[in-house]
Amino acid sequence: MMTLGSYLVVSAVLFTIGFAGVLLRRNIIIIFMSLELMLNAANLSLVAFSRFRVSPAGLPEYHAEMLVFFVITVAAAEVAVGLAIIVALYRARRTTHIDDINQLKF
Amino acid sequence: MISAPYLEVAAIVLGVVLLLVESFSVQLNKRVIAYAALLGLAAIFLSTFFVAPTPAMPHAPLWNFYASDALSLFFKRIALATTALVIIMMLDYAPVVCANIAGATPQAGLGEFFSLPLFTCAGLMWMSSAIDFVMIFVSLELVTISFYVLVSFTRRNPLTLEAGVKYLVLSALSTGFLVYGITWIFGVTGETNLYRIAEAFTRPELESTGALLGAVLIIISLGFKIAAVPFHIWVPDVYQGAPTPVTAFLSVGSKAAGFVVLVRVLQPLLMLPNVRALLVALAVLTLLYGNLAALPQSNLKRLLAYSSIAHSGYLLIAVVALSGRALAFYLVAYLLMTLLSFAVLVLVERHGGCELENFSGLSRRSPFLAFAMLIAMASLAGVPFTAGFLGKFLVFDAAVAAHQYTLVAIGIITVAAGFYYYFKVVRAMYWETSSSGEMIFISPLTRMAIIAMIFGIFFFGVYPQPLFNALR
Repeated sequence: MMTLGSYLVVSAVLFTIGFAGVLLRRNIIIIFMSLELMLNAANLSLVAFSRFRVSPAGLPEYHAEMLVFFVITVAAAEVAVGLAIIVALYRARRTTHIDDINQLKF
Repeated sequence: MISAPYLEVAAIVLGVVLLLVESFSVQLNKRVIAYAALLGLAAIFLSTFFVAPTPAMPHAPLWNFYASDALSLFFKRIALATTALVIIMMLDYAPVVCANIAGATPQAGLGEFFSLPLFTCAGLMWMSSAIDFVMIFVSLELVTISFYVLVSFTRRNPLTLEAGVKYLVLSALSTGFLVYGITWIFGVTGETNLYRIAEAFTRPELESTGALLGAVLIIISLGFKIAAVPFHIWVPDVYQGAPTPVTAFLSVGSKAAGFVVLVRVLQPLLMLPNVRALLVALAVLTLLYGNLAALPQSNLKRLLAYSSIAHSGYLLIAVVALSGRALAFYLVAYLLMTLLSFAVLVLVERHGGCELENFSGLSRRSPFLAFAMLIAMASLAGVPFTAGFLGKFLVFDAAVAAHQYTLVAIGIITVAAGFYYYFKVVRAMYWETSSSGEMIFISPLTRMAIIAMIFGIFFFGVYPQPLFNALR
């Protein structure tokens, strides 16, 4: 029997992997993938919370599932714009490595 | 009487229509788009005065997402005024955009540059009305994604692209935190509406650890939006690299909307233990870091970025003291003085750059611009009889009333630091000799906008009553 706790643990692990990826990886595409992983971790726990919180009529709470659809749509829009910016950067600088992107500083 | 949601619909429709007109009329001078956008924004601004403010209704359909109370109307007006002033700056900045975009026609890209702010504006207006986490998330993302495009708009300039990528990664990170925080608040309370979350927080069987985790994550993500230390790391780089009018838009529009969301979200979240202490810590760090790091800056855009962080600190004091009046007044003052300094910066930047030495001897090259910059800097520093002074006074007054004496002490010390770096600019303009004798041309529209902002700074500095009336 799967409990709410096991879904939350998986989601927390996914979120941590995503956050660690953002902090540690050096390639912008991988960083961007890790960011999407964080959003999906949140989606997983939203669906789990909504599934395990049953109303008196026996239905799940739909607020969270509605939010999940919005998150998916927004993430898609974000990827569309984000990848376009990364492609433009690659064309200008011939690199996607963040250590090379350091012209702006103190 | 007009129903409040039509205001955002009007802004979106205006944006879509202008984009269509732009793409189907190749011969059109793209500046017409900007003038049309300005007219449309003015019309929407006027129609906000025909919306009757109503208290939030958390249980009615549709209105459980959207509030049209006095606070939201006030912030909608801030968003509209900011967008209009930014579009005026964009008109002055247009030659730089054209030079930095590879296109088939000489004006390629300008149409989008002028119409994208309208979508941002609609997002800012929705944010000011959002009382449900779903609505907060979606409108925040509308603002953020349109800013991704605007920040990296002049894409032949590698610095701009670098700023765009940095903004992209850190904003997406804050989005991740926001969604995960909302998840935990939902998991604990089963609600996404702020008012019903507040009701749920009063129940005795509340799982306060989970709620606190969610609250902290949400405050972190809003900290990114309002540029609070330690979530400010993107601010200096993005402000310096982005096209100057977009920097102005980021520092005013994005920040004002971030603060109104923060105020709304804190109504339930402050019921949790320790959240207020967290906010006090954020305010102290932001005040100290923003003001101290601004001291050695020699690039004016970067200096204004640190000053924007510092002003977030003063605004956070108002949030901690729970004074909506001080917060709203300070934001209006901040809007006027920041946009004024950026409007001057856009003009000076075209004749050199935005380093401090480009401002040397500005009083001889253009006495009008130098005077405008003097007023902006005086108000940012907080010289009496300007709106900036009264804003700081109201904030400290509210903090004393809320017994936050540490914050008041740190605030007053950092104001002194502020005088030093703002008056560095004034010294360059009035006491140093100019390297180039080139006169700066100012278009009539910009001149009008600059005069209006100078007038606003003095008017609200001595007679703030109209703003307080609008908040009622």
